[in-house]
Amino acid sequence: MSNVLKQEAVYAVTGIVTILMLVEYFFFADTQVWAETIRTWAVIIYNISLGLGAARLLISHSARVSKKGRDWQFSGLLLGLFAIMLLTGFAGYIMTGVQTNNGIYNWMFNYIYTPLGATLYPITGFYIFSAAYRAFRARNIDAALMLIAGCFVMLKNAPVGEAIWIGFATIGNWFQFTGQVPGMRTFAIVGALGLIAYGFRALLGKERGFYAGGGE
Amino acid sequence: MASGHYWVKSVDSTREAASKMSALSKLADIDRRVFYWILFIALMVPFLNPIGFPITIAPNTQDLYDGITGDQVDEGEVWIINFGYGVSAWSECHPAVTVCTKALFREGAKIIFIGPHYDVELTYNKLQDTCREDFATKEYGVDYVFLGYFTGGESVVAQLASDIASVFPQDHFGTPIGDIPMMDGVEDVHDIDGVLSSDTGDYGGHFMTQWQGPYGTKLAEVGIAMNGSTDLPRWQAGNFFGVSVGSRGGAELELLIGELGEATTAMDSISVSHLLLVLAIIIGNLGTITEKLGGKE
Repeated sequence: MSNVLKQEAVYAVTGIVTILMLVEYFFFADTQVWAETIRTWAVIIYNISLGLGAARLLISHSARVSKKGRDWQFSGLLLGLFAIMLLTGFAGYIMTGVQTNNGIYNWMFNYIYTPLGATLYPITGFYIFSAAYRAFRARNIDAALMLIAGCFVMLKNAPVGEAIWIGFATIGNWFQFTGQVPGMRTFAIVGALGLIAYGFRALLGKERGFYAGGGE
Repeated sequence: MASGHYWVKSVDSTREAASKMSALSKLADIDRRVFYWILFIALMVPFLNPIGFPITIAPNTQDLYDGITGDQVDEGEVWIINFGYGVSAWSECHPAVTVCTKALFREGAKIIFIGPHYDVELTYNKLQDTCREDFATKEYGVDYVFLGYFTGGESVVAQLASDIASVFPQDHFGTPIGDIPMMDGVEDVHDIDGVLSSDTGDYGGHFMTQWQGPYGTKLAEVGIAMNGSTDLPRWQAGNFFGVSVGSRGGAELELLIGELGEATTAMDSISVSHLLLVLAIIIGNLGTITEKLGGKE
């Protein structure tokens, strides 16, 4: 029974949904009510998966705390913060009828989460700087060409490049629009063809990972 | 004697050359903390003393601006602005979204704000702040509406094309969508005149596949710099009528609308950091080349 649910049922559902979506997309974009209904289900399933993910997160980290596993303190911190956000969110909802409109919740978002989030991304600049120095070495002709192109594109993107020499922008644009864009188009087309091939393989049951979590 | 003297000089010059080579080869092995400090200090300079390098407008940014201003937008048109970025990408995406919101409002367009990122409310609040004067002249529910967060990736973008109310039965504040005057008659893709997707991911691609491709909806993209390589081919192919790439795109848009802001300020830092990055690459490679020439002891 479990094998039927794991494989045959998944085959059937995937096949039916795929056919419905393809028919709708290519032939009946405005009239296919079935496809629309299935997409509504997809929205609901996605939202359920968010709750499921949160539950799984709690179970996983609770287990780590109770077993005093590796870095269990961080798991404890996560659980504590999860509880605070959840409780303040519910409290705000009960008091105001709106999910996120309460002082504590807003304060935590505006004065803890926002600065941390805003800091996280720029910090990567330091790592990129150091990594560029250590990793971007012209060890062969290919690497040298990539480095030269990269430097021109960087100096094209930064206003200082044009201020130093207008040619940086011209050459950088050439590398970007004549060199990189066609390459990305190729990737996009090849990727799309690969996706179609993957879809057919999945429908034919040749992609085991798609059905049973991988492996034999 | 003479030859002996010559021999001594030769050894000295060889040692000297070796020493120079050794010093150069050390360039290949500088501690990373040195770079952190150099960048940290260098980035302070433009903050303390703004430089203000001139900025030229890229054609993709110009196309974006032209597509949301002038004859391209009629009064009463309904546009969607999708916040596909969180707080961490505010510096890259938000200035461009701010300019686009201002431009659309000033053309009399009505805007639906949505977002697949859990930070969507913070971004909406931030936009209220950065476009304060424009929002002050508009009325919620009549000129703009915030439908809020959605999840579900491309499936939901496809579903939005079929039936907006099935994804958003109410707005972010709990008002049923049927009670919002602006949403009267706005049911699906046919009632939307344009979409502006701003992303760290690829929601612009989802809108392209599910809206622009099958229905020909006008679509533009504001992406982080990294997305430029994906977005620019789509702009060249005509899928996006315009693209803003990273902070630079935001600065260009600020220049176009004539209101300099956060992105223009950030351009000095971008200049300093990019220049240092190129210098770091050159220094690292000088060391490597020297090692290859036999300078390493």
